[in-house]
Amino acid sequence: MPLDTSAYNLALLRVDGRRWNELRRIHAQIRTQPAADGSSYLEMGHTKVMCVVTGPSESGARRVGTTGGAAAGALGSGGGGSRDGDAEVVVSVVLAGFSSVDRKRRGRNDKGILELQSTISSALSSSLHTHLYPRSTISISLHVLSQDGSLLAALLNAATLACIDAGIAMTDYVAACTAGSTSTYAANDEKADPLLDMNHQEEQELPGLTVATLGQSDRVIVLVCESRVQVSRLEGMLAVGVDGCKQVRDIMDKVVREKGRRMLEEGAIEKGVGLEDMDLD
Amino acid sequence: MASLKRSLDRDPLAASISSKVYVRSTKSGKVQKIVREVYLRRDIPCSSKLCQSCLQAAPRDAAGRPIPFVLSDKPAGTSKFPQGHYLVPDTNAFLNAMDLFEQASAFYDVVVLQVVLEEVRNRSLPLYNRLISLTKSEEKRFYVFFNEFRLETHVARLEGESVNDRNDRAVRKATKWYSEHLARTKAKKVPAVVMLSNDRDNLRKARDEGIPACSMSEYVKQLKDGDRLLDLIPESEEGEFTKEKRTGENLYPEYFTMSKMMTGVKAGLLHQGTFNVSPYNYLEGSIRVPAFPKSLIILGRENINRAIDGDLVVVEILPKDQWKSPSTKVIEEDAVTKNENPDAEVGEDFVSEKERKALQEEVKRTQSKTTEGHAQPTAKVVGVIKRNWRQYVGHIDQSSVSQSGQGRKQDTVFVIPMDKKIPKIRLRTRQVAELVGKRILVAIDAWDRGSRHPSGHFIRSLGELETKAAETEALLLEYDVQYRPFPKTVLDCLPQEGHGWKVPESTDDAGWRDRADLRDLLICSIDPIGCQDIDDALHSRPLPNGNVEVGVHIADVSHFVKPNNAMDMEASVRGTTVYLVDKRIDMLPMLLGTDLCSLKPYVERYAFSVIWELSPDADIVNVRFTKSVIKSREAFSYEQAQLRVDDASQQDELTLSIRTLLELSKKLKQRRIEAGALSLSSPEVKVQMESETSDPIDVKTKEHLATMSLVEEFMLLANTTVAAKIYDAFPQTAILRRHGAPPKTNFDELANQLKVKKGMELSIESSRALADSLDTCVDPKEPFFNTLIRIMATRCMMAAEYFCSGTQAYDDFRHYGLASEIYTHFTSPIRRYADLVAHRQLAAAIEYEPVHPSVRSRGRLEAVCKNINVRHRNAQLAGRASIAYYVGQSLRGKATEEDGFVIKIFSNGFVVLVPRFGIESLIRLRDIAEPEPEATFDAENYVLTTAGSREVRVELFQKVRVKVTDQKDEATGKRGVKMELIRTL
Repeated sequence: MPLDTSAYNLALLRVDGRRWNELRRIHAQIRTQPAADGSSYLEMGHTKVMCVVTGPSESGARRVGTTGGAAAGALGSGGGGSRDGDAEVVVSVVLAGFSSVDRKRRGRNDKGILELQSTISSALSSSLHTHLYPRSTISISLHVLSQDGSLLAALLNAATLACIDAGIAMTDYVAACTAGSTSTYAANDEKADPLLDMNHQEEQELPGLTVATLGQSDRVIVLVCESRVQVSRLEGMLAVGVDGCKQVRDIMDKVVREKGRRMLEEGAIEKGVGLEDMDLD
Repeated sequence: MASLKRSLDRDPLAASISSKVYVRSTKSGKVQKIVREVYLRRDIPCSSKLCQSCLQAAPRDAAGRPIPFVLSDKPAGTSKFPQGHYLVPDTNAFLNAMDLFEQASAFYDVVVLQVVLEEVRNRSLPLYNRLISLTKSEEKRFYVFFNEFRLETHVARLEGESVNDRNDRAVRKATKWYSEHLARTKAKKVPAVVMLSNDRDNLRKARDEGIPACSMSEYVKQLKDGDRLLDLIPESEEGEFTKEKRTGENLYPEYFTMSKMMTGVKAGLLHQGTFNVSPYNYLEGSIRVPAFPKSLIILGRENINRAIDGDLVVVEILPKDQWKSPSTKVIEEDAVTKNENPDAEVGEDFVSEKERKALQEEVKRTQSKTTEGHAQPTAKVVGVIKRNWRQYVGHIDQSSVSQSGQGRKQDTVFVIPMDKKIPKIRLRTRQVAELVGKRILVAIDAWDRGSRHPSGHFIRSLGELETKAAETEALLLEYDVQYRPFPKTVLDCLPQEGHGWKVPESTDDAGWRDRADLRDLLICSIDPIGCQDIDDALHSRPLPNGNVEVGVHIADVSHFVKPNNAMDMEASVRGTTVYLVDKRIDMLPMLLGTDLCSLKPYVERYAFSVIWELSPDADIVNVRFTKSVIKSREAFSYEQAQLRVDDASQQDELTLSIRTLLELSKKLKQRRIEAGALSLSSPEVKVQMESETSDPIDVKTKEHLATMSLVEEFMLLANTTVAAKIYDAFPQTAILRRHGAPPKTNFDELANQLKVKKGMELSIESSRALADSLDTCVDPKEPFFNTLIRIMATRCMMAAEYFCSGTQAYDDFRHYGLASEIYTHFTSPIRRYADLVAHRQLAAAIEYEPVHPSVRSRGRLEAVCKNINVRHRNAQLAGRASIAYYVGQSLRGKATEEDGFVIKIFSNGFVVLVPRFGIESLIRLRDIAEPEPEATFDAENYVLTTAGSREVRVELFQKVRVKVTDQKDEATGKRGVKMELIRTL
C-alpha cells in the first residue's frame, strides 16, 4: 500500500505526486449525447461524471399547481431557486454502483445524495437566468461513473458545461474545486500547507472544503465544509480553492470554445449573424 | 454519439500520468482493487549539494520556503569508493539492519527511495517510524527520494513480473539515474552511488547493468570499524547465502497461514490471545482467551512453538484427554539446557532428554490423579499474529563460549536475557572476548523451524556487569523508559525567564485572567521527605454557617505545557515520571517539575483549585473549580505534620486547619470503606542510602502515618469530583481511570488455599464482600498473616487503566478497588500525563479556555491512554526492580536471618516472602540439602514433605526462618537475594 498523507512534509509531494497547488488532470467534453438538449462528460482525475440537461421544458401537469421549486419529484429532486414564474432547476444525481471501490447500495432518500442535489440546484439557479423561462423546468441528470474525491466539484462543473451546451442563458460559469490542508485537525499544525483539489485518499484523511465561484470573479457561490478544521487554516484553504476555481473555469472555457470552433468548421451550425462578431478563440 | 473513449490519447500530459493498481483485502475478507493516479514529474530534486540544476528547480511550500538539500557535497569514502559515495539501500537492508543505519560512526548520506519506504511501512510500522526519524535528523543526512513520481525513474510493472522484482528493478533504475544525474553536475569528485542489497539476484543484475552494488557485509567490511559493525548485521541476513545448504530437519511444527488462522478464530475453532510465560517454569505458558473462563495452559517446547512472552498468538485446544493441570514444578531454563552447544544445530534431539524427563513426571502426576477438576484446557500454538519482540538486555553465557577460537573468528554464543521469561538467544559475534562479562543489548531477528533457540544480533554494550551505570541503564531499557535528556526543541518550550519566572505582580497581567486570588489562604503541602516536585497543597477554614471550606490546590502544569508543542509531545510519550531508588526520570523538564510548577512554600504559584464546602460530617454541600494563585505557607513532611498535629501545645491556625482536615479525612475514609473500598497491600520497603556515596545501607518497611491518609483521602475526593465534572462536560472524551472487577476465577486458587489450610472463606461477590472477608482472615498468633493474604489478594486483581469515556459503558467506569463510580487522575500533573489531560479538560469544562482539539479527539485520546497505561505499568515494574536491586546491594557481604512466609509451593521447591525486605525468592529442594532429598508433594493440601538427606515438612502460609544472603545469579547475571532454609517455625 502506498504512503499516506503524512509523508507530505518529506518532500512536499502529495500521495499522487502532485504539489500543493496543482489540480489533477481535468478532461471535459460537451455535446456527448446529440439527442439531448445539453450534455457533457467530465473527468477530474479518476472522478468521472456525465451530465444530461433536458429543458427548459414545460413543467409537467403535476407540477403546474405547485408553487416554487420546493416540490421535488420522486426521481429528480433538489428543485429550487425559483420563485413563482421562474424556471425550476431539478437535479438528480445517480451514483453508479461500480463507481467506488465498494459496491454500496444507496436508497432513494440517501441524505448525502439529496444534499448534493440541492446544493447543485441552488448553485446553478443563481447563475442561470431562470426568469427568462417562466413556468418551465430545467432538468439536470448527473451520473457518477467513477469516484475519486472532489465529487461535488466535478458534478457542479459537469452541470455547468451541460447547461452551456443546452444554450440556457446564464451569468457565467460555475467553476468548482476542493481545497484541503496537509495535516489533520488533531495535529493542529498552524503551518500546514493548503492543498488544491483533493483526491479520495486525501479527503478521507485530511480536512477539506468544496468551493465554487462565479466565473472569473471572486464571488463564492458554493462553500461546503464537512470536516473539522481550525479557523486559522480556513483562510489559506479558501484562497487556494478560489484560485483553483479560476483555473477550472479557464479549462472549461477552453473546452467550450474548442467545441464551438469545431462545430463551425464542420458546418454543424450555420454562422449566424451574431456569431460573426463573436471571438471564438 | 461522440466517443468517450481514449480521452487520454489527445492529452499532451498523457506521458506524465500513470496509475498505480494494487489489490488489497479488507478485514472482512473482501478483496478490493484500488487504482490510484500517479503524476510523474521532473522537478523532484536529487537533493545533493553538488547539484545546481536541481537547486534551481527545488519545490517550495505554500509559504515559498524551499526544502533544504540534504546530501553532503563531500560524502565519506570507503576503501572501495575513495571518491565518496551515497548509499541506496533496498527494503531488506532496512528491515534487517536498522540498527546499523542508526550507528553514529557510519551510514551517512543515504538515499531512501519511496518504493523502499513504502515497503518498509507495509512490513513493519516501528521500523518505518525509526526510518522516518532518521530522515528527520539533520546530522544523519537521509533523504527520501520519491522515485515513483519522477518521470525518469518511474517503473511500471511488466506483465508476469512479481512485485518484488518490479521493486528491485525500481531500486536499480533509481540508483542508475542518480549516478548519471550526478555525473552531469561536473563536480570534481563525483560520489559513487552504491546500491545496498542482500538479494543475490538483484546484486547480479545490478552488476550486469554496471551499477555499483554491495551486499551488506561486503559494504560494512569496507568501513573503518567494520568488525564491530559486522556484528550488527542480523543473523537472518547471512542466512540468505547459506540457507540452501542448511536443510536440517525442522524441529517445530509449521505455523498456519494467516487466512487459516483468521477463519479458524472466526469459527471459534482457534483462539487468539497474548502469550504469557510462567515465571517459574519456562516450558509452561498461559493464554487468556474470551471463550474460556480459566486461562489456557500451553505446556512443552513443541506446543509453545516458538512463541515468546508477550506475542499475540493463535492457539488450538488439544483433545480433552491431553489436558493437564498447571505445573507444580519449578523448571528453569539454565538448569535444564546448561550444556547445550550453541553451534550444534542439526542432529540433536529436539526436545532434549532432560526436558522430556522433567515434563514426564508432570504428566504422570496428573494422570494418576482421580479428581478431574484440576485439569485445565490445554492448547498448542499454531501461529503468531504479531510478535512483541523488543530489544533485550542480557549477558553472554560464559559456558557457551568456546575456548579455542581467538581473534576475529565469528563465534556463536548464547545470550541469557535478564528477563527470565525470554528464552536464550543465539548470537553470532566476532568480539566474544570483549563482550563476555558485559551487559549487552540484543535484538531477536528470527526463530525458524530448524532452530531450537531464536537467533539475534548484538546492538551495543552497556558496560561491565554489576556497575551501577550499566545496571541502571539495563533496567531502564528493559522497561522501555525514555531516559535520554530532553532534546533542545523541548527545552525551547520552557519560559524564557528560567528559574527567575514569577507570578506577575500586576493582577491585570494576562496570566491572571480568570484566576482566583487565594494568596491569603493558609495553604500548606504535605509530602514525603525530600519531595521536590510538589503537586498538591491543601487548606481548610471554618465557614460562618458551621460548615468547612476545604481546598485542594494542584500545580497548574497546563499553564506551562501547551497542547501539541514539543514538550507536550515528549511528555505524552514518556507518560509518567519514573522513580528509581537513586534516580528519577522526569516526565517534564526539571525547571517545571521542581521549580515553576512545584507548589513550593513561601512563593506564589499558579494552581488549579478544587474547593468544596463540606458539612461537619464531610458531606459535599457544593464545589467549585477555579484556576488560582496561591502561596503555600509551609511544606511539611508526613512526619513533621504528624508531630505538629499530635503536639497539643500547637494551637496556631495552620495546625488547627490540619487537624480539621484530619478529622474530615477519617470520616471520608470510613465512608469509602463502607462503600466497599479495599485496603490492599504490597510489600513495600524503602531503601536508605548513605548520603554521600549513595550506597544503600539499610532497608526499612514503610511506616503508615495518619497524615498520609489525610492527603490520600482528599486527593481521592478531588479526583472523583473532577472525574464527574469532566465526564459531565465531555461524555465522549473525558479521560478517566477504571479498575475492573476481577474475574471470579482469579481468586479460585487463593480461596481454595485459605479453605484447605486455614478453614477460612473468601467471598468475592462484590468488593464489599471481599473487603469484609479479608478482614476476617486473621491468625491471632501471627499478626502479619492478614497482610500476607492482602498481598496475595492484590496479585489476583486486575490492573487499573486509563480510558476515554466514550469507549466504555457507564457501568464499566467503576473503580473496583476504591469502590468509586467514576474516577480519574487529576492531582499529580507534574508526574503523570493523564492528569495533565484531565487539567485541560477541566479548564475547558469551566470555560477557562477553549477546548483544544487534541483533548477532544477521541482517536488521539485513545492512543494516549494506551500509551500511558503501558508506561505506567513499566514505571511501576522498573521502580520495583530498582528496589530489588538495591535491597540486594544493601545485603552485600552480609548474611542475616529473617522470618519469612511460604506463599507458593511446588513439587521441587517453594517460594518464601520475607516481609522485612519485601522480597520473595524461590528455594529449591536441591538447595536444601545435597544430594537433593526425595520429596512427596500433596497438591491437595499444599504440603511438601522431604525425606532422605534432610527431612522437612513445608506447607503453605507456614512461617519459616531463612538465611538471606546476596548472591549473583549466574543465570540472569543479576545480583539478587538468595535464601536458604534454616528451619521451619
